[in-house]
Order: sequence, then C-alpha cells, then structure tokens
Amino acid sequence: MKPIQYFFLVLSFLLLGFSVSYSQEEPAGPSVPSSETSRITNTEEKASMPDQTVPDTVKEPEQQPADQSDEYAAEEKEEEPVRVADPIAPWNKAMYHFNDKLYFWVLKPAAQGYSAVMPEDVRISFSNFFNNLTTPIRFVASLLQLKVKDAGNELIRLVYNSTAGIGGLADVAKTDLSISRKDEDLGQTLGNYGIGNGFYIVWPILGPSTLRDSVGTVGDWFLDPVDYVNPFFFDALAIRTFDKVNTVSLHIGDYEDLKKSAIDPYVSLRNAYIQYRNKKVEE
Amino acid sequence: MKKQFIVCMLIALLIVPISAYAGAPLETVKARVNEVLDVLRDHSFKGESGKKAKKAKIRSISEKMFDYNELSRRTLARNWRKFNPEQQREFIKLYKSILEDAYVDKIITYTDEKVVFNKENPLSAKTVEVRTTILTKKADIPISYRVIRKDGEWRVYDVVIEGVSLVSNYRTQFKEILANKSPDALLDTLRKKVGKA
Repeated sequence: MKPIQYFFLVLSFLLLGFSVSYSQEEPAGPSVPSSETSRITNTEEKASMPDQTVPDTVKEPEQQPADQSDEYAAEEKEEEPVRVADPIAPWNKAMYHFNDKLYFWVLKPAAQGYSAVMPEDVRISFSNFFNNLTTPIRFVASLLQLKVKDAGNELIRLVYNSTAGIGGLADVAKTDLSISRKDEDLGQTLGNYGIGNGFYIVWPILGPSTLRDSVGTVGDWFLDPVDYVNPFFFDALAIRTFDKVNTVSLHIGDYEDLKKSAIDPYVSLRNAYIQYRNKKVEE
Repeated sequence: MKKQFIVCMLIALLIVPISAYAGAPLETVKARVNEVLDVLRDHSFKGESGKKAKKAKIRSISEKMFDYNELSRRTLARNWRKFNPEQQREFIKLYKSILEDAYVDKIITYTDEKVVFNKENPLSAKTVEVRTTILTKKADIPISYRVIRKDGEWRVYDVVIEGVSLVSNYRTQFKEILANKSPDALLDTLRKKVGKA
C-alpha cells in the first residue's frame, strides 16, 4: 500500500498548488466582492488567451449600469463558477481534434458494425454488467464523502444486481427496489472537499477532464476490478476496448448533435463538461 | 455522460412549458410536454411529407413556448449591449434558427419516452424552475425548465439538462468569440451556420 499512499500524497500537493493559482470556484451566493471577481476574471482570461490582448470588457467591474436589470447581473455572477482555466489550450485543442478523428474514423464505425449484429437490449445488459463492476469506485467515493446512505445503496445494488440481476446484466435494483445508480468518483470526492478543478485537460482517447478529475481517474483505476485481471495489460485493454465500443454504440449521435448545435464545439464541450461535473459534485 | 447530456439537450428543448395565466408552471409544463409528445407519437404523419409536417408543427409549438428574446439577452448577457438594435434583432433571429434546426431534427426521432414531472422551485419574483425527468431505455435524465412570466404567460428562457444550462453553454461560446471578433463578425458566423443547416 505504501507506494500508493506516496503517490496520492504527492499528487494532492501538486493539486493543491495548482488549485490555489488557477481555481475559479466561487460560492454560489452573492457575497463575492466585485473587484475580486474582476481580478480573478483577468487572471483567467489572460491564462486562457495567451495570444490575444485581453479585451476591455473583461476589465469592467461587475457592477452593471442602470439600464440592465438585476437578473442579468445575477446571471453573470452565476456564470463565474462555470469557468475553468484553460492554460494549455493549444494542447487541448489538438487532443480534441485527435479525439474527434478517432471517433469518426475508428470508434463510430466499430460501434455501428457492432450495433448491427448486437441488439440494443443486449448492449444495455453489457453496459449494466460493466457498471456493476465499477461499484467499488462509487462505494469508496461515497464513503469518503461521508454519504453513508449512498454507499449502502451501492452495496445493495451490487448484491441484488449480481444475484437477481444475473451477474449484473440486469439492473433489477432500479426496477424492483427503485434504487438507481448514483455516480460518484474520486474526482467528485476531491471536489466535495473544496479542491477546485484546477485547469482543463483533454486526454487522447479518454476525453475531457480537469487536473482534479484526472487525479481522481487515476485513483479510481486502483479500485476498478478490470485492472486486476491477469495477465494485466492486454486482457484489461481488450475488456476496456469492448466496454468503450459498447458504450459508444449506445450513444451514437450524441457527439454529432453537440457539434451540430454548437458554434464552437471545443468551447461547448469544455463548458458542458465543467457544468456537468460541478453539478455532480454538488449532488 | 457528456453524450447523455446531448441526448437530452435535444429532446428537451422543444418539450417546453407555456401556461395559461391561472395555471401553475408545473401544470402548464405537463400540458405542453404532452402536447409535443402527442405530435411525436402521431402515426398519421407518414413519409417524408409527414416528417416535414411534424417538424413544422413542433417548430410552431416551440415558437409559442420559448421567449427567444429573453433567451438571447441572457445568452449574450454583458455582450448584449455591444449589439445595436438592428444587430440584436438579427441575432435573435439567427439564434432561434440555430436552436430550432439542431433540435427539431433530433427530437423527431423520439417516440415513446416517458416524462415525469417532479416539482417546481421559485427562482425569483418572476421566474420558476420546473424539474422533470425523462425516462429512456438507457438512462433517466433530469431536465429543468426555467420559465419566466411575461404578460401573464409563462415561457421558457433556459433548459438545464443534467446540470448543464443551455444559456450558460452558449454564453461561454459567444463570449470567447466576441473576445476576438466584432458583433458583425459573429453574426456572419451565425449566418453561415444557419445557411449550412
């Protein structure tokens, strides 16, 4: 256990260090003084657009002139926590494009071929199976956040789905016991304890993440049974690939729709990811 | 996860509430959602022309449901002032078109999803958030409609899917674009996008 402990220790320090300099998290309440908000805005804007001069509007104070109603000012304040620093934007954009190509050239065709031969219900069963396997991640995360009831629920789900649900293929805990899966992970745990996102990172293949969530993902790998399959590398890789293709097959069209509806897909995805994670941490 | 959000962004946008003055926001959301679902499930629309008619019907429902003016203002927020009245009008028109195009095409593929209406939370003196959940085969997706009362009617000005607010998402995109481009350039980008769709 020792190496793992050191690993976490070092990463936590790194994380805290980065969070202090980059974190944009603000309390939802109206208590943030406007000058401080502007200063944070300046830092963040400068960080994410190194090649352009910061436009004047960014430096304006939060106080709205009389012609704008209070609601718009409230909207602006509400928006602050949704921002994330993007200091490595060139890398992120490159990875975004790589993932984009990967999806259209590899994942989607594979998923479509797979869908053609495998009925949706079966693919949903496989999805249930993999979700069942990752129970330890949700269980530990819930415990660490002192969400004892949620942890208990995950345990009940594991037992019931594995037995009555035949090895986790059927999510009978949801239908029979009305206990739905609650997504919890180490990234959310860290968020719960006040660790900010840090900054946005797009990983090849794995997709969008943040500094905090990446640390969380690595930590979660230690709790994922698939990583303990013997022999480790190729079998685990094969399982993960199958899981990925199966998941993609159930969500074909989603990414295309995001691209279609967005003016700037990269920004849209980044913002959606951060909003989604913030919400998850809150829950 | 991000993909689930997209699924619902698409279903949700046109399933919107509008309320008779006397009705509570939740009741009116219910009525409207069922109205749209009825259109989606109507088998009398057949073939390509049927599909076109369905889309047209959904578009007209959405026209009544959304307050595009409010949507546009809240999306641009501080940047709204950068646009002169004529540009503002064009922005509203283009924004509306983009939203409708993207979503009508997607929502038309849905037929038998069940919608559960949870509760309503007042957000301010004029606004309420109505929480619903869409039950699909693959997942349950929470969707909230934020409605504002204007002239006695409740209309939608934001849709929040799995915690992702539509207005906030577009706001971030427009903000980044407007940091480097003029309003006219943005309008040009939107014109091209609408033209392509």
